[in-house]
Amino acid sequence: MTADLIVDPQIRFWVFLPIVIITFLVGILRHYISILLSSQKKVEIQQLADSQLILRARALRENCGYIPKNSFLIRRQAFNKEDGYLMQKRPPVTQNMMTDPSMMTDMLKGNLTNVLPMIIIGGWINWMFSGFITTKVPFPLTLRFKSMLQRGIELSHLDASWVSSASWYFLNVFGLRSIYALVLGENNAADQSRQMQEQMQMTGAASGMPADPKIPFKAEWEALEIIEHQWKLGDVEKELLQE
Amino acid sequence: MSTKAKNEPAVAYSELAIRNNLSIVEYCRTSVAAVSGCTAGVLGLTGLYGALFFIVAVTGFWLMLLFKAGIDSWRKFFISRKSLLINGIFGHFFTYILCWTFIYGMVHVY
Repeated sequence: MTADLIVDPQIRFWVFLPIVIITFLVGILRHYISILLSSQKKVEIQQLADSQLILRARALRENCGYIPKNSFLIRRQAFNKEDGYLMQKRPPVTQNMMTDPSMMTDMLKGNLTNVLPMIIIGGWINWMFSGFITTKVPFPLTLRFKSMLQRGIELSHLDASWVSSASWYFLNVFGLRSIYALVLGENNAADQSRQMQEQMQMTGAASGMPADPKIPFKAEWEALEIIEHQWKLGDVEKELLQE
Repeated sequence: MSTKAKNEPAVAYSELAIRNNLSIVEYCRTSVAAVSGCTAGVLGLTGLYGALFFIVAVTGFWLMLLFKAGIDSWRKFFISRKSLLINGIFGHFFTYILCWTFIYGMVHVY
C-alpha cells in the first residue's frame, strides 16, 4: 500500500499489540473476579412459585392445539376462574433497596468490578500510551470520524482513517464483546459496555426485580382469556395410518 | 408431523432445541466474522473490497450451513432460513472490522 505516513515499527510491538492484549486479558480477569465475588441471590419461595405459575400458563397457551378442547377449557378455568391461580391476591412487595444490606453489598461489588477497573485501566492506558498513532483503518472515512478515532491527537491535516492509541483502546473495549462470548460463553461478565447499560437501568428503574407479581399475572390472564382453541391434530389418525 | 391438506403445514418445534441450535450457529458466525476479518487483514483488502469480502464470507457460511443441515431438511433444525443470514449481522460486522483493522495494522501499516 502507499503510505502517506511512515510509522515506526516499534510502535506495533510496544503500543498497538499491548493495548489489544491488555484489554482482552482485563476482560477475562473481570469475568473471573465477578464469579469469585458473586453471591447467590436469595429467592423467595413465593416468588419462585409465581414465576413457575406464569410459565405453566404460557405453556398451556402455546401448546393448546395439542390437547382436546375440553381439556384446554378445564385447564383455562383452573387458571382464570374467580379464585383461580392467576387471580390470587399477593401482598405488594415493597423492598427498600437502601435498607437491605445484601443489596448494598451487591451494588458495591458491582461497582468494584465494573467502574473501578474501567477508570484505572482506562486512565493508565491513556497515560502510558498517550499520543501515539497506532494504526490505520483499511477503509476511507469522512472527517466527522476524526474526533472519534483520533482522540488525543489534535492534528487537522491528518487523514481521518488514522487511529490514535486512546481510540484504539476504546474500539477494543467495545469490539471484543463477541470474542468474549466465544471464549467465555454466553452470559459472561467481561463485557463492560453491557454492564454499563445494566447499571443505568438499575439506577433508572430503582430496582431490576419485578416487584409486583400482579402485573404479569394480569397480562397472562388476559392472554389466556382471548386465545382461541384450535385443534391441530385433526387428521392425525390418517397421517399415522398412511405410514 | 405435517398435515399436507392445509396450506400451512403444522410443524411442532421444541423451543429449547431451537434455541440451542441458534446459539451454536451464533458461535459459528462469530468465528466466521473473526476469521474472515483476519483473512481480509492479511490479504490487505481496503475499502469496499473488505465489505464485499465480508458479504461473501457470511453468505458462504450460510450456504455451507444449509448444506450441512440438508437442502431439503433444514426445516427440521431452524424455523427461518432468512433469519440465519440476517440476525445480528451488524454485531458481526463490527467484530469483522475490529479483526480486519487489527491484522491490517499489524501486517500492512508499519
